[in-house]
Amino acid sequence: MPGAIAVEFPDLFFGGLWLTVQLSVLGLVGALVFGTAVALLRISPVAPLRWAGAAYVELFRNTPLVVQLFFLFLGLPLLGLRFASDTFDNIFRAAFVGMALYHGAYVAEVVRGGLLGVDRGQIEAARSLGLSYLQTLREVQLPQTFRAVIPPLGNIAIALVKNTSLASTIGVTELLFGAEIVESRTFRAEEAFLTATLLYLALTIPLGLLVNGLERRLLVVR
Amino acid sequence: MRGITRAFAFGLAVAFLAGACGGAGTGGTAGTSSPQTSAAAKPKFEVQTFMYSIQVKGKLRIGTQEDNPPFSVKNPTNSKWEGFDTDIGREIAKAIFGTQGDPDSFIEWVPVTSATRIPSLTDNKADVIIKTFTINEDRKKQIDFSDVYFSTGQRILVKKTNDQIKEVADLGGKTFCAQRGSTSEQNVTKAQPAAKALLLDSYPACLLALQQGQADAVSTDETILFGLVKQDPNTKIVGKYFSDEPYGIGIKKNANGDRNGFVDFLNTWLAAAIKDGTWAKLYEKHITPVSGDKKQAPKG
Repeated sequence: MPGAIAVEFPDLFFGGLWLTVQLSVLGLVGALVFGTAVALLRISPVAPLRWAGAAYVELFRNTPLVVQLFFLFLGLPLLGLRFASDTFDNIFRAAFVGMALYHGAYVAEVVRGGLLGVDRGQIEAARSLGLSYLQTLREVQLPQTFRAVIPPLGNIAIALVKNTSLASTIGVTELLFGAEIVESRTFRAEEAFLTATLLYLALTIPLGLLVNGLERRLLVVR
Repeated sequence: MRGITRAFAFGLAVAFLAGACGGAGTGGTAGTSSPQTSAAAKPKFEVQTFMYSIQVKGKLRIGTQEDNPPFSVKNPTNSKWEGFDTDIGREIAKAIFGTQGDPDSFIEWVPVTSATRIPSLTDNKADVIIKTFTINEDRKKQIDFSDVYFSTGQRILVKKTNDQIKEVADLGGKTFCAQRGSTSEQNVTKAQPAAKALLLDSYPACLLALQQGQADAVSTDETILFGLVKQDPNTKIVGKYFSDEPYGIGIKKNANGDRNGFVDFLNTWLAAAIKDGTWAKLYEKHITPVSGDKKQAPKG
């Protein structure tokens, strides 16, 4: 019985699941805020802002998340930077920042695509009505963009939940970490990892349904 | 279709003939016991043994870790495997394939971590695990071990400037780093339940965490700590042994005769390697530079 082992080691499985949830929610909020900001940089009329946005996206999209996590955990302190003086706060925050930065790069591309997908005529109409660049962005482009990019953002959100498992490599005691510890103590590998798999599914399947629901509610029939 | 069947039948016939000849050859040499004319002669094994099947396959798959000095390191400059455990592996390869040529040509190196040691045996990804692998009762339920080929105990590594941590008991409320999936973490928490564990994938990462003050101590087998002190002379090893760590060579349990005679073969080889001084030579080559002592055998 895969579920039984979770009851035997509640701290490792449910404590781990709770950390996974925290990391997922915080990481997703961070990625959305950050990614949207970068998308705006990338379509900005100011060239250096566009370059900065592009450099960020390419750097974080083209390097492995594990490497980024190790850099945030063990690389930044070499430069005298640390997220918290307490070790365990530091690794959790490093993991959160890593999740937000890495997935933020993907969010940025999706949102940029959405912004570019808004009909040119609407933007010209808004500008000719006297709305400023920022007003046009806020009132015309962004609302339509978010409606259009919900399905791809849902993909990113689900990927993010699964990628939180990589935080185990820098010592965050999330769900996969818990399963590995249980496995090394009990040698019940099948049970431990099957239980972790079911718990991940318990997060990702409802998340997928939520995204589908949102998509339906906000659907615009064209 | 017919062509394939015929080719398969032909292959079977060839394999059978080869097997029959091999069997006859084994009987012949054993009977006449002609004195070994050259050291290059291939060792002979009974057909049903695991050693025979390895010899036929032509490769011994050795599971060890890429960054576990002074036992096993994959040299990043030339990709060569170095260290005590890897040389033990080469000696075993020589005992199976003969001393002729480069033992590495008979070896497939399989990188493992502490956590993947047992699965790589049970999933048949490696034939032997030689990786500072402590023999204990829990593990014996899953896999078989050879006799003890190396013996050590667990101690604590701290910064040279640290004079608060002297024994494992002093780790209360402190953060110590150990490898995830190893016995080291459990040994510390057993000895000092108030210690906080930072569990990473390798000891070099733990050393970095120690250097940066993200961990107050690193704890594992003394010999691995020797390797870390060598990397960073600003650290020191403190305290008494608080665990016994007898290392064995891990192999898959014999099931349906798929590992016939392997444990006995390894133990016979080990006894001979200790007796003829090969073991002492490997100790002096890899361990003495970090420990400063010399040993003739795993115990004493």
